Amino acid sequence: MATYLGTHGSKIQNYTTNPDNPNQGEVWYNETANTIRFEGATTAGSWSTGGNLGTARRQMAGAGTSSSAALGFGGYLAPGASSAPSALCESYNGTSWTEVGDLNTARRGLMGSGTQTSALAYGGNAPPTSAKTNSWNGSSWTEVNDLSTARQQGGSAGVDNTSALASGGFTPPSTYQTVVEQWNGTNWAETTDISLGRYGQQGFGIVTSALICGGQGGGTNYYKNTELYNGSNWTEVNDISFERSFGGSAGSDNTSGLIFGGYDDSPTDLRTVKVELWNGTNWTEQADLSPPSGFLGMAGAGTATSAIAFGGEGPSNEMRSATEEWLGAGSPLTKTVSTD
Amino acid sequence: MAKTYQYCVAENWGKGFIDHVESQKITFVGYPGNVWQVPAYNKHGNLWIAKVAGTVKTKTEAQTIVNAEVQAAQATWDAQTDEEKADPMNTRPADITLEE
Repeated sequence: MATYLGTHGSKIQNYTTNPDNPNQGEVWYNETANTIRFEGATTAGSWSTGGNLGTARRQMAGAGTSSSAALGFGGYLAPGASSAPSALCESYNGTSWTEVGDLNTARRGLMGSGTQTSALAYGGNAPPTSAKTNSWNGSSWTEVNDLSTARQQGGSAGVDNTSALASGGFTPPSTYQTVVEQWNGTNWAETTDISLGRYGQQGFGIVTSALICGGQGGGTNYYKNTELYNGSNWTEVNDISFERSFGGSAGSDNTSGLIFGGYDDSPTDLRTVKVELWNGTNWTEQADLSPPSGFLGMAGAGTATSAIAFGGEGPSNEMRSATEEWLGAGSPLTKTVSTD
Repeated sequence: MAKTYQYCVAENWGKGFIDHVESQKITFVGYPGNVWQVPAYNKHGNLWIAKVAGTVKTKTEAQTIVNAEVQAAQATWDAQTDEEKADPMNTRPADITLEE
């Protein structure tokens, strides 16, 4: 009969807690919890709680590459349009948020993209609606050249502070932008418009491979349309499952990404905990966000398999500091062997 | 009638409050006032409440906590100016009814 020693060349090891970076299939004994554990894989994506933001707020922007390396900035601190916008910036390491250098200009409803150490913040509402762009180098923000068109709550994409895409957005009093601008590290230049003027849409990707979906166009014009960008042109592809706006998003390019939370515009502006995954062709519903029942104006960062959702507004209009971490299907996960 | 859910009050401390394994086994719903809903008669739900040192509440007690939070938020909203109320991103907090 095959034994664990025979097949793995070792006995089951005892650890005070868990081993660092265990291999998939590895089994060990956790002396603190008095349980046998193993390194398995998730069969479906799930959310867990992460460290809370230092300052609760909504309509922030995010940048980052995973659930353990992200940046959250801007937003505002209380409900109501008269609330002052924030310049705060916090950095997440997978466990906790740390306050780092402030934005050059406080604003909410801004766009953001890049990584934890090289990011860009653009547009937003200071007030008034802003064209300002701030560049993050890992330790401080620097004001750089403005967008050509001031706007807020548009779509964003970009790999770092040398390339970004700002798509659509709102310019008061009543312009729902189709304008798209591309950042080359120095200047913004107008590129191909999106087909549907909107704001509050979800977006992710890089300047040569981006996606936007959902959003609003004023009045009762709520959208579930998805548009893909290939670096030259936008193409309309399969819709998201319901009209959603002001949710969070995460994704590395236009072949994979995640959208979560925000408004479900299809009935009467209900906050939603629904999550949808994009595989390059279709959207599929995933496990809901967990706490609490509804998020509005939350931000996100990461990829379709490792993302975070943070901030936003809860069901009693309270500003939220909660963070949730997304682990996609097939990701490594330590589990406890249960004999019950 | 057997209840479907149980309620507790627990403050979300952040990392580890709900982990991925728990999230895959239990459907959590959070409400104002740090009220949490998990399935009733469920071992994993019971273990999670114990882990977070949650204070178990009856549905009526939990509803009272949620109502107080929502009513306070509604009063704050009602006191805003008409201009603030007209902001489409600033809707009046709706009443919340917990399920049995």
